[in-house]
Amino acid sequence: MDKSSTLFPGIFGAFLLSTTFMVLLPHQQLSGLQPTVGDWDGASPSPSDVYPVKMETELGRRTGERAFAEYGCFYCHSQQIRDKQYGPDVDRGWGPRRTVARDYIYESVPLLGATRIGPDFANYGWLGEEKDAAGNPVKVHLWRNEPENDPKKPIRNESWIYQHLYNPRAIVLDSNCPPMPGLFELTDIGAAPSPDAVEVIGNRQLVPTDEARYIARYLLSLNRTHELKEAPITMKKKEAKK
Amino acid sequence: MTTETQHTLLSTSLGTGEGAQAPAAAPAPVTSPASAAPKKPEVSPRDVENLERALIDQSARGPVLTFFTTAILWLLVSCVLGYIASKKLHDPGFILGPEWLYRLIGLHGWAQWFFDRLSYGRVWPAYNAALIYGWCSLAGMGVATWLIGRLTRVAIRAPGILQFGAWFWNIGLLAGVIALLTGGYNSGLEYFELHPAAKGCMLLGYLMIGVWGVILFRYKRTAAPYISVSYLVAAFFLFPWFFGATQFLTTGSVVTGVTKNIVLAWYQGGLFNLWFTCLGLAAAYYFIPKVINKSIYSYNLAKIGFWSWVFLSGLTALTRLSGGPIPAYLITLSVAASILLIIPIATVLTNLAQTMKGNAGMMAWSPTLRFVWVGTVFFGLAAGLGVLGSLRSVDSVMHFTQWNYGQTHALLIGFFSLVMFGAIYYITPRLVGCEWLSRSFIKLHFLGTAYGGGTIIALFLISGIWMGFTMNEPAGKEYAFYNIPQSMLFAQAVKSYLGYFIFGIAQIIFAVHFLFMRLRIGQPAGEPTLLMNPEDAH
Repeated sequence: MDKSSTLFPGIFGAFLLSTTFMVLLPHQQLSGLQPTVGDWDGASPSPSDVYPVKMETELGRRTGERAFAEYGCFYCHSQQIRDKQYGPDVDRGWGPRRTVARDYIYESVPLLGATRIGPDFANYGWLGEEKDAAGNPVKVHLWRNEPENDPKKPIRNESWIYQHLYNPRAIVLDSNCPPMPGLFELTDIGAAPSPDAVEVIGNRQLVPTDEARYIARYLLSLNRTHELKEAPITMKKKEAKK
Repeated sequence: MTTETQHTLLSTSLGTGEGAQAPAAAPAPVTSPASAAPKKPEVSPRDVENLERALIDQSARGPVLTFFTTAILWLLVSCVLGYIASKKLHDPGFILGPEWLYRLIGLHGWAQWFFDRLSYGRVWPAYNAALIYGWCSLAGMGVATWLIGRLTRVAIRAPGILQFGAWFWNIGLLAGVIALLTGGYNSGLEYFELHPAAKGCMLLGYLMIGVWGVILFRYKRTAAPYISVSYLVAAFFLFPWFFGATQFLTTGSVVTGVTKNIVLAWYQGGLFNLWFTCLGLAAAYYFIPKVINKSIYSYNLAKIGFWSWVFLSGLTALTRLSGGPIPAYLITLSVAASILLIIPIATVLTNLAQTMKGNAGMMAWSPTLRFVWVGTVFFGLAAGLGVLGSLRSVDSVMHFTQWNYGQTHALLIGFFSLVMFGAIYYITPRLVGCEWLSRSFIKLHFLGTAYGGGTIIALFLISGIWMGFTMNEPAGKEYAFYNIPQSMLFAQAVKSYLGYFIFGIAQIIFAVHFLFMRLRIGQPAGEPTLLMNPEDAH
């Protein structure tokens, strides 16, 4: 028979057991994580290469993160890359390696996400260098969601994001992403239409609000591709050089 | 003490306890022959017991009805929000209701503006909050309040405090849900999205409610071994710890980085496994033996089931982060604990099934038994899906799909809601003094809830499986990711039009029926409204 003398201590013991293993132990292990300086093998091109960096240093990123959370984007777009043994996240072109705890040490609330009704955004702003025709290095976006044999290689810059926020199906056929017309406002066209305008109606134009600009800046700041000791790059080398 | 005494234990006198303090002038509910008892020259122990029960019910009347009424309002809200959220998945820019109606009353522009901003990402958390913290938690607290009074045989001394707590909970929740819908605040933590101030208000309300559960247990006047009491104490005692600790740890920077996600997963585990499952099983363990008038099959089995569940289920939480950026051994630990959960699940189901054995025919006429038993079957489904989903081979396919919503819904609208409906059908007549108006209403409600809810659960699972296999196509050579949700559009459409629609209609019927009860429109007291005449059942 469960008397209160055994019931309460028993239940509290179960709670303590759970807390110890599910909260205190991970906290004890993960709270001391520090950013890495330079490449993990010591062969860094620049010793001041610190990863990850504090978000506050990037203007607008925190505000963009709040907007991303408040529009509920994270219910469909996760921000974590699983190892190859769990799924083909790397092969899909969402990142060069799995993500680990160190990638998130400066996030106020890591928006890891639990469901993918859209693609993963862990490395949406993944940039690489390519040589153009003249041999000058240019920055290119490496994050992709298209199948490998798809000829389309859209450049996901800010104006692409604005187009997508305004009407996803206009640029991604079959997209299930909700249109967000609330993120755009009508203004008068001055001398020339703004390069960011998503639609021109007569002499008025639809331009992104500050909130939309913050969201775009936040998305393009997402880059967890820096090689870490605990998470070596598992993407095929051929692609990594691209 | 043998289990046979469980439901037949009589007290020989009222004593000087709480019963004597209840106002004598208060009209005792005439749900039992109790009111006639004092007129008889001889007072049998049965009459005393009935009177005592009536007095305890009377003390619980105010708070329990407040819980039920607000819970049912939240249930209706969550049906509407669930329908909108489900529809948004296959029709992202839709407007609720016919467009011509909005044009007719000149609000088309306004409706367009409103629904433009009401993206899936805003409706979905509001729906979850309304379902979890609105309907399920409030109904659970109402049933638990009544059950604790009955099981400990102690009347509630200050029902006003519980009622006050219920309003705190509701006001905090309402503010939080409005903030979610309008984009005012979303913490980014799934199932814990509400504004910290809203959650603080809810926690304050909860403490006013939950403290009574513990106090009543402390002053219990019976030594009968009810396994329901253990489950209720576990639920009431653990919930504030999980809720408060998560609130404390995730706001600010007490813990940082992915530890917040770990804490969140731990909270989700506590919410589903210890709060809802314990409340639901407490009710199932009470009502199934009560209705068939037989003690539970084995009290020792029930004890094993309880303790193994309480200890193991608290360790299963991190399967939710399987494959995620957390240390792998934590996930392995959770997977091992999840597999061991088979022990309590099998124990509980065996025990309840053995109790039901030979009495399944009573489901033909008893609304309570029908709801509670089908709910118990859904418990087997939900818990089994939890174990299955924790296996690495299954998880690597089903992770990130709607499979986990299917499991959550099997627990919330399959198991928990059905058990709560059964309990409400049993409790309400004992509080308001009249019986349910229409057996057809109850039958329709059962059909709509079981089949509509079953459709919702099945389609979440099917689209999860479908999506999981497509998502894991090697290297995404054929499919861009946006083709995958497209492939499940049909399942989503069926879920909205069949699942949520039928489920919602059934809940409207239930709400109207409950409203009649509150207005005391019903059958005369004394003759319970059964689904059919028990004599005809054979």
